[in-house]
Amino acid sequence: MNRPLRRLALAGAVVLIGAAILVAAGSAGQAKNQIARGGTLNVGWEQSFGFTDNFDPTGEYLGDAFGIMDNLLVRTLVGYNHTPGADGNKIVPDIASSWKISNGGKTYTFHLKSGIKFGPPVNRAVTSKDFVTAFERLAKPADGAEYAFYYSVIKGFDEYGKGKAKTIAGISTPNDSTIVFNLKAPAGDFLYRVSMPATGPQPAEVTKCFEGKAGQYGRDLVSTAGYMIAGMDKVDISSCSALKPASGFDGQTVMDLVRNPNYDQSTDPTRKNYPDEVKFTVDASADDIYNKIEAGQLDLATSSIPPQVLRKYATNSSLKSHFFQNSGDRTWYITMNLTQPPFDDVHVRRAMNWIMDKAALVQGWGGPTIGAVANHIVPDTLFNFKLQGFKPYKTPGDHGSVAKAKAAMKGSKYDTANNGMCSDPKCHGVLLLADTRAVDTKMLPVIEADAKKIGITFTVRTINGAYPTIQTPSKNIPIAERPGWGKDFADPVTFFSPLFDGRTIIPKGNTNYSLVGITPAQCKKLGVTGDCSPYDAKTGLGVPSVDAQLDKCEALVNTEASDARTVCYEGLDRYLSTQVVPWVPYLWSYVTRITSNNVTHYQFDQFSTTPAYSQIAVK
Amino acid sequence: MTAIPLTPSEAAEPAFTGRSAWRLFWERFKEDRAALFAAAIIALLVFIAIAGGPIAQRVTGHSNTTAYTQTMEDAFGIPKGPNSQFWFGADGAGRDLFVRTMYGARTSLEVGVVASGIAVLIGLVVGLVAGYFRGWADTVLSRFADVMLAIPQLLIAIGIVAACSTTKTGCLHGLIQPGLGIVIGVIAFFSWSIIARIVRGFTLSIRERDFVEAARSLGASNTRIIFREILPNLIGPIIVYTTLLIPQSILFEAALSYLGLGVPPDTASWGGLLNQAAQYYDVAWWLMLFPGLFLVITVLAFNLLGDGLRDALDVRADR
Amino acid sequence: MLLYIARRLVWTIVVILVVVLITFVVFFKLPNGDPALRFAGRSPTPESLALIRHRLHLDKPFYIEFGYFAKNFFLGDQNGWPGLGYSYEGSVPVMQEIKQRAPRTLCLIAGAATLWLVFGLAIGVLSAVKRRTIVDRLAMGFALFGISAPVFWLGLMALYIFWKTLHLTGGSGYVAFSQNPGAWFSHLILPWSVLALLYIAIYARLTRGSLLETLGEDYIRTARAKGLSERRVIFRHGLRASLTPIVTQFGLDVALLVGGAVITESVFNLQGLGWLAINSFLTQDLPTVLGVVLLGAAAVAIMNLLVDIAYAFLDPRVRYA
Repeated sequence: MNRPLRRLALAGAVVLIGAAILVAAGSAGQAKNQIARGGTLNVGWEQSFGFTDNFDPTGEYLGDAFGIMDNLLVRTLVGYNHTPGADGNKIVPDIASSWKISNGGKTYTFHLKSGIKFGPPVNRAVTSKDFVTAFERLAKPADGAEYAFYYSVIKGFDEYGKGKAKTIAGISTPNDSTIVFNLKAPAGDFLYRVSMPATGPQPAEVTKCFEGKAGQYGRDLVSTAGYMIAGMDKVDISSCSALKPASGFDGQTVMDLVRNPNYDQSTDPTRKNYPDEVKFTVDASADDIYNKIEAGQLDLATSSIPPQVLRKYATNSSLKSHFFQNSGDRTWYITMNLTQPPFDDVHVRRAMNWIMDKAALVQGWGGPTIGAVANHIVPDTLFNFKLQGFKPYKTPGDHGSVAKAKAAMKGSKYDTANNGMCSDPKCHGVLLLADTRAVDTKMLPVIEADAKKIGITFTVRTINGAYPTIQTPSKNIPIAERPGWGKDFADPVTFFSPLFDGRTIIPKGNTNYSLVGITPAQCKKLGVTGDCSPYDAKTGLGVPSVDAQLDKCEALVNTEASDARTVCYEGLDRYLSTQVVPWVPYLWSYVTRITSNNVTHYQFDQFSTTPAYSQIAVK
Repeated sequence: MTAIPLTPSEAAEPAFTGRSAWRLFWERFKEDRAALFAAAIIALLVFIAIAGGPIAQRVTGHSNTTAYTQTMEDAFGIPKGPNSQFWFGADGAGRDLFVRTMYGARTSLEVGVVASGIAVLIGLVVGLVAGYFRGWADTVLSRFADVMLAIPQLLIAIGIVAACSTTKTGCLHGLIQPGLGIVIGVIAFFSWSIIARIVRGFTLSIRERDFVEAARSLGASNTRIIFREILPNLIGPIIVYTTLLIPQSILFEAALSYLGLGVPPDTASWGGLLNQAAQYYDVAWWLMLFPGLFLVITVLAFNLLGDGLRDALDVRADR
Repeated sequence: MLLYIARRLVWTIVVILVVVLITFVVFFKLPNGDPALRFAGRSPTPESLALIRHRLHLDKPFYIEFGYFAKNFFLGDQNGWPGLGYSYEGSVPVMQEIKQRAPRTLCLIAGAATLWLVFGLAIGVLSAVKRRTIVDRLAMGFALFGISAPVFWLGLMALYIFWKTLHLTGGSGYVAFSQNPGAWFSHLILPWSVLALLYIAIYARLTRGSLLETLGEDYIRTARAKGLSERRVIFRHGLRASLTPIVTQFGLDVALLVGGAVITESVFNLQGLGWLAINSFLTQDLPTVLGVVLLGAAAVAIMNLLVDIAYAFLDPRVRYA
């Protein structure tokens, strides 16, 4: 063959092959796009629903409830893509088509899409006034709100809640499709705050019947998204006395959701809404649930997976396609009380971080399929893996290191023999509060044995439901292994303010368990014994405060040009992990889910850290 | 009074041997082979309770509290079964099950015996007073027993255990320590009224007997009658019912530990081990089998001994 | 006679109320203390906590709350009589919750009671008749095992052997009869058997002892001397007389199980009344706890009352005690 012909032949071959590849890709893409619509998605729920406000969006704080609401029932001004990873934590338009931030970050103007209607029995278009209804319910404590503090930044919100004003001054509705928020101060995470289900539009003609009655509206929740509670079309809203709960949700054993006839898919690019029906059923035991999933009677479950089932699915190649692991955006940690000996000394706290066999603790939870060993405060996913290499207490195999721990202990006031062991009498018989879950039984021997290696011995007390005790500063619990903390939304502020701000420490329900930033005056008022004097870098004793840094980071806003806010929080994580050391974080848990053979397509919703119910397809 | 010999031959050998009540009891008990067997088992269990744990630790080289997570748990935290190093396999937290089962004997026997002892002591006093003096003491006891019967035992047990669990000093100013102390207290609290009722029944019938009547007509004070006439006749039933109460107490403690309400997690308890067994029952048969067998055998032995004692002492519950 | 019944009736109601009062005390004095916290969300202000406490009727001292409860109970509330209120979690009427869980417990008790009455009596009679033979020894040995083996162990072993390994029965969990009779039975057969085993043992021993005692009486000797068949002697004369303690024990045992079958319900995940009581106690749901405690106490106290009346009927001396 002469040269030009050869070149032609070669080019032709390339074109043919290229075309073939394109066709193949196209048909594969076609096949992928042909996800089946229809069918019923059956979800099993262990023991009881456990809703915090009986599914009333105003007060409902359960993570699993968020997943149901934001995927299936409640649209908000801004929302998410209902996908895993960073894409799923990103703010995208939902009911609002666009928004404008002005006035130095203190004014937010949202323009609403048209064609968004309430589901039966309300059946009318959603207006800006319906958002006002939702915020008014959030403001009034009697309506059961559980995260109203996010909205105190809106002008007039607290005054309205206390009954001092007739309306919320900072929210205005110039017309039906515009809503304006005026804030007292700039809040860099405000968009995240209006993505929460409590801020979704609510019809005043229905919610007025539940005024002051927390925990009742949930059974008559009026939908704005692809599904509605079964039986809502039969609910009579002509008067409050005629209003009965919808038949599809009995509050205890079953929640049945069917398609919302008033929903316009064209207004909603993010929710795919594959199944015709989504049914949540309460089942007695995890054992039972996973047997039913294997048999195909259930398709999915909200409960945690017993280790033997995990093992079966993770090791069996034919079952692996039904096994899904995603980041839970949650840290599990041992909390140390900065006011109680011997943990009032940073040397001891650092030594605790060095000595803990974190791999064994994670193994007690179920091993690497349950989560990854935690290296610092905030899960890497929330910082987009920028802090992935930051492992201040890394040891071989994550089994802990006696040598490093002793080195860290040296110089502590409790190291009386100057050999790196905690030998002061205050190191012996320290009160450790544990819960009674199965995983606590597995973790306790490891924690006790490790602490003993640096001379600390514990008096262990167990209680069923340890949180209320840990949340009460006056109980003066030195150390507890129960806590875990998950994000509310993807801004790091939810991982810092409630946990480390000294000014928000309250006598009951306190979430700053370590009492970071507590002052001697507060200690006296709250009944905290122990030394609350400020941190002394020379001795390592005392209580450090990060309040100033928290304020600095919170005031920053991420823009297209710089993510100064995130960088600030990254610095704060580093500081807390190395200089304050209030925790021994040990696990960043995954959300592991198993599906039945009926499920043809599974997706995870990173915002709620639950399965993305609207994006899951069944046969 | 010596017997007057009627004939020289009769004087040579005694016509009968007088036997004390204890002699009678021993003769009868000796015949009951099942009861003797039970007593032997209990003796063995007592030995295990005292020395079994430390010996097991020495022999296997494994401590009671160390979690061998790297060798005896798989990657998912599921314990591994018996092998040459770990004769009974691992428990739910990766500890040596053989060592913990041996230590569990100590917990069961300690709680069982002490709780029963306290319950019997209280029940004896109350039942004696109610049965002897009758009147309002008796009425109060019956009323109290009625209420105790209707109380939801487990709920109150949870409440008491929780109330005394969260501090280092326990409750009642350190009188009830968390851990074994609370469990013993709770069991004794729910058991004494049963003993009191039984003692009351016996006291009622004994006080009607002739010799008591005789003592009273001789002018003996109440105290003298109680201590000299009634109490000695109660010893038989007390021994029997204490022995029968011990296995109940052991089972009560096991049940509390099974529900997670009993002894602290460090302390080995057969009930606690069965709690872990429930989590892994389909993959860790050893966790179910060994503690369970030991528990059943212990309880069975005490029940058998109690039965034997009841037969030998010829004790029958009077209506 | 009527006066006696009236007196005992009043006392029964007092007992029930005392038990409820004790539950109130324990609930309010628990260190975990504040049920309001569970509904307060993150960073609750003291005002919102106070509001929640007021909504849950927890802001007054326990004896006042007890008064409210007693009043609501006797006079009823918006759901009719008895007024047990709404549970904290889910705002579900307590009566509805109890009505939903009660059938599970009642099915469990009914099945087990049938089994243990039939088998317990049969084995007891057999043992007594063939006393000191190998049959007697085996039967009593089995009975001894029955009272020594704890329910939670037997239950686990039974599940492992009959469900996981042999696939002969259904597993844990409850299936309603209306939903699937076959599954209802297969899920209950193991709990029935395991629960009944303990009582079969007790009743076999009880029957044997009672029957043997009766058979030693003079009138039995007379009946035999009169030439009656052994069967007639045993069943017509012996068993009848020895049944009294058994029947009273049976009544009491059944009543106690209403609130007391917690462990069986927990092993087999039946979520009946016992589970409801413990679960709501641990989640600090006071109205539900009170509802179930009341039910259990009422069952026991009323059964006690019936037994005492029966005895008063039979034995006039008791009436004047």
